[in-house]
Amino acid sequence: MTTLTRGAWGYAGASLDFKTGNWRSTDKPVHLHAKAPCHAACPAGEDQQAWFALLQEGRAQDAWEALVAANPLPGVTGRVCPHPCESACNRATLDGALAIHNVERWLGDEAVAKGWAYPLEAPAGDAPVVAIVGAGPGGLSAAYHCLRLGLKAEIFEAAPQPGGLLRSAIPPTRLPRAALDAELERLLALPGLTLTLRARLGRDVSLDELSSRYAAVLLAPGCQEGKEWDVAGAVPTDHREGLALLREFMDHGSFPEAQRVIVHGGGNTAMDLCRLMKRAGSEHVTLVTASGLPGPNTAPGDLINVVPRELEEALEEGVEIIDHATVGRLIMKGSKVTGVEVVSLRKLPGGDGRTHRVAFEGTERILPADMVIPCIGERVDPEGLEGLLERGYLRPADSWGSLSRPNVYAIGDASGQSGTVAAAIGDGRRAAEALALRLAGEVPVSDARPVLEAPQLNPRYYGGGARPHVPKLPAAARDFDSEIEGDIGRTAALAEAQRCLSCGNCLACDNCWTFCPDNAVIKTQELASDGSHYLFDLDYCKGCGLCAQECPTGYIQMVPEEG
Amino acid sequence: MREALEGSQAIARAVTLCKPDVVAAYPITPQTHIVENLSELVAEGDLHTEFVSVESEFSAASVVLGAAAAGARAYTASASQGVLLMAEVLFNIAGLRIPLVMTVANRAVSGPLSIWNDHADSMAVRDSGWIQLHCVSNQEAVDTTIQAFRIAQETDLPVMVCMDGFILTHVMEPIDLPEQSEVDAWLPPFVFDRALDPSDPKSLGMMVTPDYFPEIRHAHHAAMEKALPVIEATDRDWEASFGRACGGLLTVEGDAGARVGILAMGSTVGTLRAGMAEPGAAPARLITLRAFRPFPAKALRDAARGLDHLIVIDRAISPGAGGVVGLEVAAALAGHPDMPRLHNHALGLGGRDIPETIYADLIAAIEDTDAPGFSVFDADLSKLAPEDR
Repeated sequence: MTTLTRGAWGYAGASLDFKTGNWRSTDKPVHLHAKAPCHAACPAGEDQQAWFALLQEGRAQDAWEALVAANPLPGVTGRVCPHPCESACNRATLDGALAIHNVERWLGDEAVAKGWAYPLEAPAGDAPVVAIVGAGPGGLSAAYHCLRLGLKAEIFEAAPQPGGLLRSAIPPTRLPRAALDAELERLLALPGLTLTLRARLGRDVSLDELSSRYAAVLLAPGCQEGKEWDVAGAVPTDHREGLALLREFMDHGSFPEAQRVIVHGGGNTAMDLCRLMKRAGSEHVTLVTASGLPGPNTAPGDLINVVPRELEEALEEGVEIIDHATVGRLIMKGSKVTGVEVVSLRKLPGGDGRTHRVAFEGTERILPADMVIPCIGERVDPEGLEGLLERGYLRPADSWGSLSRPNVYAIGDASGQSGTVAAAIGDGRRAAEALALRLAGEVPVSDARPVLEAPQLNPRYYGGGARPHVPKLPAAARDFDSEIEGDIGRTAALAEAQRCLSCGNCLACDNCWTFCPDNAVIKTQELASDGSHYLFDLDYCKGCGLCAQECPTGYIQMVPEEG
Repeated sequence: MREALEGSQAIARAVTLCKPDVVAAYPITPQTHIVENLSELVAEGDLHTEFVSVESEFSAASVVLGAAAAGARAYTASASQGVLLMAEVLFNIAGLRIPLVMTVANRAVSGPLSIWNDHADSMAVRDSGWIQLHCVSNQEAVDTTIQAFRIAQETDLPVMVCMDGFILTHVMEPIDLPEQSEVDAWLPPFVFDRALDPSDPKSLGMMVTPDYFPEIRHAHHAAMEKALPVIEATDRDWEASFGRACGGLLTVEGDAGARVGILAMGSTVGTLRAGMAEPGAAPARLITLRAFRPFPAKALRDAARGLDHLIVIDRAISPGAGGVVGLEVAAALAGHPDMPRLHNHALGLGGRDIPETIYADLIAAIEDTDAPGFSVFDADLSKLAPEDR
């Protein structure tokens, strides 16, 4: 029995008798680690919030290890990725998205410079072996994740060198070969991984053979063949397709001579080709694309599908672009092109409820041309994949890459999905995870956590800060080898980490602990940026929601009581 | 040594003799001179205290609450609207059982606005749980102020010393102020065993659930009842040391065999004494009520026993019920044998002058058998429209 003091003064601990938690009627606070929008948008599945949190503490190697838990090639994606993470970044609503792309590159390069090793152990001697077709980003990612999950991997690559599209189609001005080779060598040296070069599916090895000899088969052949192209049935005799020209340039360092070049299409291959041909000396290089340039006349879904900075640089370099247009007619002298008739496109509703682009009569104009290069996309080489292709692609049944054939998965460009390096890396990881679970008799489950939206943040608690300056070669100094975009450097990278809002995850800021009027937030240990050291003492929580209101990151949410 | 002092000045000097650690007050007529004199004493170096200039009476009361809770002897003063602004804190001070002393320079409460004396302000906080002592003269106010510090620390209750605004506060009288050494010997140093101490954490003002609240209120009421003998004993002890008393809980004077009694509080008693001393004045038993809280019901019944009539003078009314003191006296006498018939009159509201002739008028009014039980005795109803009378 409590003996009351005069005036009901309380001695230490007396207030613990008053369990204010029994006032709570509707909602209680919970810690909810929602997906940061960068993470949700990342095709490779990186958790940028997680590695930025470590970088905020100055732990660069730990940050890199958290990064390569999803993506083994940050030095590559830190250069070539269109970084949808930055487009999704909630900080864009404050003072500009984080330069995630540039920090990723710095971390990737730092790891190479410091010789950091992937944090994984060699698979057991009797571990199942997975066959992987193709040593492009998708195949390499799949092999790496198989190793992380305790499986062995054997890669079959048709080309004499690994890297796939990274080597054959992306110019060194965007991805220097030294940066590419350093990451590939580190990955390919991992124990448990075998690479067989010049082994072409269908010619040197068959799918049946792989299926019978290996625990599972991952198909990452990429898209190697240009799509067939003609204009009203006409094809010039010297017709060359864009990706083949790029490959030739990578091999020999030269382009066919042409003063007036028309590139027909839209995409990174078209953009790379335009810029290289311009630099090779072509006086006029004009891209004719059905998509739109960024601006008021272009709906978001209609935007030209290239990395924004690449488009910006192409314009700086003098590439001309005619958007919302197509090549309507080739003007030939004999079998040689002398010009093209370009016609604008407009969108009209079709009978099927969708809109269609149709030629806008009366907008035709003639452009002189020595060369017309189609870059309208590539398709899968069907050799060795007979019976698996569906309208030109492998088209898996689920997000794990599963094909109808048991234990066979499709990855990357060949699956006909988004077609970026990051997407191929993500495909490789998901397929490896799914097959590892299935080999163990388990079922893969998608991460169903919600995405933390900007309105759920409390922005008052964040300081200001501008995006870092990214050094770039001036247009006049750009050649065929020098990397155009530069390194932001350690100082800027660490400073940029401080700008991360930590969307959906605990910052260990103590706001909940400070603001709780009932001391119902308990701190159990001193250092833990994952929030695990805060507990809600529901005996005293009145459910007022102050903690959730004052949580900067949306990590605390009020949810209805059960029952 | 007797000095000619203004009432407010004398109070400031009396407070100084008690060596308060903290003084916080906000000026308001007619209390202003007390605060001014205190700040002057501080400026002159005669009063060594933490004098906190505050921006309102709410703050003044809050400061002294905190100071006393931290173990300081604390003092404040106010009046009228200032008391009302303090009201919330006054309830807290008493409910938290914090011993401190406050002077109320009694003044009417607005509206309509009046700066003059009556008792509406201290009566408005009648139920806050403070001890309330009323003073007939400035000498009593000085002596009661010093006594109040001792009563407060002996009872763990706050004490309000009520003195009539202007009538006492602004009047110069010869005052016998004790010597500092005498007060030091009579008033022990302030010791508060619940004082806040970081090395032994306590909290005050905690939420108290229904499981404990009635017990806390019971204890507060019991403490007030137990304060009755403390108030009496303190005054007796004062008399033993200084040769004069302030009237304990209440005093009885006049003709012990009279059938008519008059009960009053504060400076009105002086006027009645003068009326009673007039040649040919009717005899009466004059009861001076000093302790209004705690209310000395038993002492009052003893004082009233044997009277046929008791006239109760009020300087505050509870509209719709009657005089506040009258109602309480009626409640105290009700159900007891040999109790007089009550005649309750309000006098001097809002500073209306009370002449000596009122004594004879009050006694004459007993004969009016049709008179209501309560009246605002000195109201001239001809000043009102007929429908407002």
